[in-house]
Amino acid sequence: MEILDKLINVALIAATLRTTAPILLVALGGSFTTKAGIFNIGLEGQMLVGAFFAVLGSIGTGSAFAGVACGVAAALVFALVFAILVVSFKANEVVVGLALNILAGGMTISLMKAIFGTRGSIVGHGIVGLPKVQLPGARDLLGSWAPLISGFTPLVYVAFIAVPLLVLCYNRTRLGLYIRVVGEKPEAAEALGISITRVRYTASLLCGLLAGLAGAHLSLGYITMFTENMSSGRGFMAVAILIFSNGDPLKVLAGCLLFGFADAFSLRLQTFGYPSYLVLTVPYVVALIALFALSYRARPRVIAETLESMRKLLSVDKSAEPGGKNPQ
Amino acid sequence: MKDHLRAVSGQIIAIGVALLMGAIIILMVGESPVRVFMTLLRGAFGDQEKIAGTLLQTTPILICGVAACIGLRGGMFNVGIEGQLFLGGFAAAWVGFAIPLPTGIHTLAALALAVAAGAAWVAIPAYFRARYNTNEVVSTILSNYVAVLLTSYFTIFLFKRPGGWSETPPILATSYLPEIFTFSRLNWGLVIGLVLAVGAALVFRYTKWGYGVTMVGSAPKFAEYGGVNVKRQGFLVLLLSGAVGGLAGGVETLGVHHRFMEGFAPGFGFDGLIAALLANGSPVATIFTALFFGALRNGSLLLEVDTSASREIITVIQALIILSVSAQVLVRKRGDSQAGERRWKF
Repeated sequence: MEILDKLINVALIAATLRTTAPILLVALGGSFTTKAGIFNIGLEGQMLVGAFFAVLGSIGTGSAFAGVACGVAAALVFALVFAILVVSFKANEVVVGLALNILAGGMTISLMKAIFGTRGSIVGHGIVGLPKVQLPGARDLLGSWAPLISGFTPLVYVAFIAVPLLVLCYNRTRLGLYIRVVGEKPEAAEALGISITRVRYTASLLCGLLAGLAGAHLSLGYITMFTENMSSGRGFMAVAILIFSNGDPLKVLAGCLLFGFADAFSLRLQTFGYPSYLVLTVPYVVALIALFALSYRARPRVIAETLESMRKLLSVDKSAEPGGKNPQ
Repeated sequence: MKDHLRAVSGQIIAIGVALLMGAIIILMVGESPVRVFMTLLRGAFGDQEKIAGTLLQTTPILICGVAACIGLRGGMFNVGIEGQLFLGGFAAAWVGFAIPLPTGIHTLAALALAVAAGAAWVAIPAYFRARYNTNEVVSTILSNYVAVLLTSYFTIFLFKRPGGWSETPPILATSYLPEIFTFSRLNWGLVIGLVLAVGAALVFRYTKWGYGVTMVGSAPKFAEYGGVNVKRQGFLVLLLSGAVGGLAGGVETLGVHHRFMEGFAPGFGFDGLIAALLANGSPVATIFTALFFGALRNGSLLLEVDTSASREIITVIQALIILSVSAQVLVRKRGDSQAGERRWKF
């Protein structure tokens, strides 16, 4: 019991929130593209360039927030390229996503060598990290539980506040509705006169924005340094979460908390002397198990949905043809 | 035939565009593109040894490329070749140092276990892909991370060479893949790769099974009505792809390193996938794209010595090539507006 006590306590929960934030940000970004019907495997790369350019910006301007802006801008450029190729040129989204990830990896290492003359990592050089936010009154309110809501870097709060905002966006705003329609029933969107291209571009760019924030949080908030491939598969885990949550913000949050916990728990296990190589596999194994287990459970639903959509497709084909020629 | 010519010329234009964009990035990192490209060329083909080195780098890319082709033909993205390569490499090394066997048989046994390890590693994602339609791209990518960490654990905690640094004991000489020349480590692995590529092409072209695989990849409904068991086929395709990925690792261990070490073949799996994509899923064309990427890789070794650019600049160029190939609709939009959608849907 004592070991359990040492493993699970307030510090662990706070650590979970901290490790959840980057994956939550990037997964919420991916939620936009998932809802808009795009399979975005390029999250990893967007996150990585976000992290790198956030560090560059922070060094260049001496301000952490300007650094975050730089990181977001870089991720947006990647998201834009992704959108141009996938939406406008209708290229294969898996291929483009993977290529952009590879590009991000090679580019950040090349630029790191060119600018800092080093391989591996950027530490020091005057990187300004994001400040920790101490909420006033947290200690009075919660006592020893205060670390649960206070003392995080700003983007942790942004990540968790974004969840209800996304719920509102999908349920209460025109943009959210358009994104869902485009993803679920592109034919219907077209019939309603919604520009699929424009909605998908918007979704991709919103995704880039959040992925950039996730990257900036990794290199300026979570720790204050950049290392080669520092996103280390978080973007791919986010995609796994998106697959089984179907992009619903609350389910995304639940999935991300699971991974955040696995991450924090494995860091904790390392201090108990378990071999680090095995401990480091924990988050990936959890992701794989979740992916497989939930797809097994979703089996009847998948079959039902396939039949349903085929039936609908057949009936839509018949009824939509006269309407299609004569919109409105 | 004209289509074929157009496809090849389109690919070459895309490579040209990518090299141009690569030149801009090289300028951005403060090097002269001409110098970088000349160094790459010199590093890849400068003399006899350099050419052999290029072929040595081509070997794993080619075998991984064939693995990727098998998957792509059957409509499967095996992005886990990297992980299968690592496990295959470790499995071959284990047979090599732990089980004494006569020459020849030893090599074959090690390669067989490498193949089995690669197939076993992809079996679970393949099963769930075939049975429950679980996205194989994500599951195989995530399993890469596990494979790399797991082989590192085996190497460092279970089978470390006494006094060595994160490597297994050397394999016994009976399990070596024989070298072709005396002046290079180039070995029969290249021949294995070439035979595999041609063999795969023949299977796809002339056998009923190969035709079924291609049909499942390009028109699954048609294949199903034609009597192909699509689920079983998909499972087998991924398993075969993983097996070849494992073989690539075995060849790399037995032919080049003669031991397993941490990070022993970084990126070959991804290079193979890119080579297969650039070759449009054709195993024979993969021979040439693998040679191209092998040359880039070997050239990049000299790049670090002779210029201030880092060798990852070739990764950038590879990614740009794939991006411009997928944007090829730009070039041929006039004739065929569906080209982008059809690309890589075999």
